[in-house]
Amino acid sequence: MSLLAVRRPPLGTVADVPTTQGSVHQGAEPDDIEVARRFVDGDEQALAWAYERWAAQVHGMAVRAFGPGPDAEDVTQQTFISAWTGRSRYRPDQGALPAWLVGVCRHKIADTWAKRERQRRSTEAATSEARSAPTAGPGSELAAEVADRVLLLGELNRIGQPQRSIIELAFFEDLTHAQIAARTGIPLGTVKSHIRRTLERLRDRLEVDGAALRS
Amino acid sequence: MQHCDPDELALAALGEQPPPECAAHLDDCAECEREVASLRRSVDVLAVPALATPRQAVAPPPQVWAAIAAATGVAVSPRPAEIEAGLSRGIPMPRPAQAETATAETVDPEPAGSTVLPFRSRSARGPAARWLPLAAAVLVGGLIGAGAVAATQDGAGGAVVAQAGLDPLPEQIASGTAEVRERSGVRELQVDLDVPALDGAYYEVWLLQADAQRMVPVGIVQQGATVLRLPDGIDLSAYPLVDVSVEPLDGDPTHSGVSVVRGALST
Repeated sequence: MSLLAVRRPPLGTVADVPTTQGSVHQGAEPDDIEVARRFVDGDEQALAWAYERWAAQVHGMAVRAFGPGPDAEDVTQQTFISAWTGRSRYRPDQGALPAWLVGVCRHKIADTWAKRERQRRSTEAATSEARSAPTAGPGSELAAEVADRVLLLGELNRIGQPQRSIIELAFFEDLTHAQIAARTGIPLGTVKSHIRRTLERLRDRLEVDGAALRS
Repeated sequence: MQHCDPDELALAALGEQPPPECAAHLDDCAECEREVASLRRSVDVLAVPALATPRQAVAPPPQVWAAIAAATGVAVSPRPAEIEAGLSRGIPMPRPAQAETATAETVDPEPAGSTVLPFRSRSARGPAARWLPLAAAVLVGGLIGAGAVAATQDGAGGAVVAQAGLDPLPEQIASGTAEVRERSGVRELQVDLDVPALDGAYYEVWLLQADAQRMVPVGIVQQGATVLRLPDGIDLSAYPLVDVSVEPLDGDPTHSGVSVVRGALST
């Protein structure tokens, strides 16, 4: 019978009820944009709000990379510490604050891999000191990849919009160029040529400074 | 010989299938093949699962904030209940154009919703939409086998018209069963749950459509058996999934996006 009533999403009727959360505390909770604005201004409360809202997502990413435990916790705390101390680098016009935090977290994950790799190599070097031929062992490929990842994440940060978001959707959301065009409203041909130029730029960066090609 | 369009080579480096002529050409053109390989290096380095946009939120333990506070010297503290609530929030996708495209079927988190609703950013479709489809896909494989049980004995609570085994969602430790009984035209849902105790949150049972995009809240459930009356007229074939979620006590009536068990009703 009343299919309409059944189909209404649960929030539909309740959205206008004025007495839900926030208003009972001192004033309404700021929206994400306001949190981002106060964050950039150095308002400490905004750091706490950002943590409330996005720490679980950031930590989820860290846990996915390292499993639950000290490494993941370190990545999450370093992400927020870096974001806070480097907040002047956040550009609201380049994307939402949580997306920026995720980007910072990516760097911390890549840094942690690189750190682990350095530790692994130094223990390896210590244990095999007597042997010669230290260069092209089986680990050197991995080491190169780890180093290149840090390099390219840095390069991504220097790419302007909309190119950066387009390539991030391809890399980190695994979207096809058609899906990216649909998602962003940018014409298909433009998406394609942005992807090509960005991949060329990243390749150039690898060729100049990358580690992988040297082995 | 006509080489491939350079744009197509870049897409091939990302793993997309080139158009037929280009694909055929790639098979015997070493030059185009080299171009793809050289462009692919950055894809191999960056497009790894560990760097993908997070899908599964995990609340950090308290010492993480303690370390942040110590390093930054900030005097305020986040509210633990709000960090828990953050488990169901999404991370906005990179969004280069302001153009919001109506991609209802895609999993598209936040910011659009957050500006529309008076609530803090948990939109009707936001976090739930982000989590549920994935989970729905999971259950297609697992739960159909719960067994086709037709309406059978007319026990104390009425005839069983549908039932479901409730299986845990990824990373959840919980299980249960659900049963719909009918007596004199009134249907009741009995949920039997084996779930961990919660602090500052409660379990709620929902009936979901197969796409997990629309849902009807049925009521609050606990460890053990709970019997709830179903809304009159609800078409169970349109809402075939029984879903139990963890709802923080945050005054937000929408699905938190965090489900513990789910199962498909078989009639």
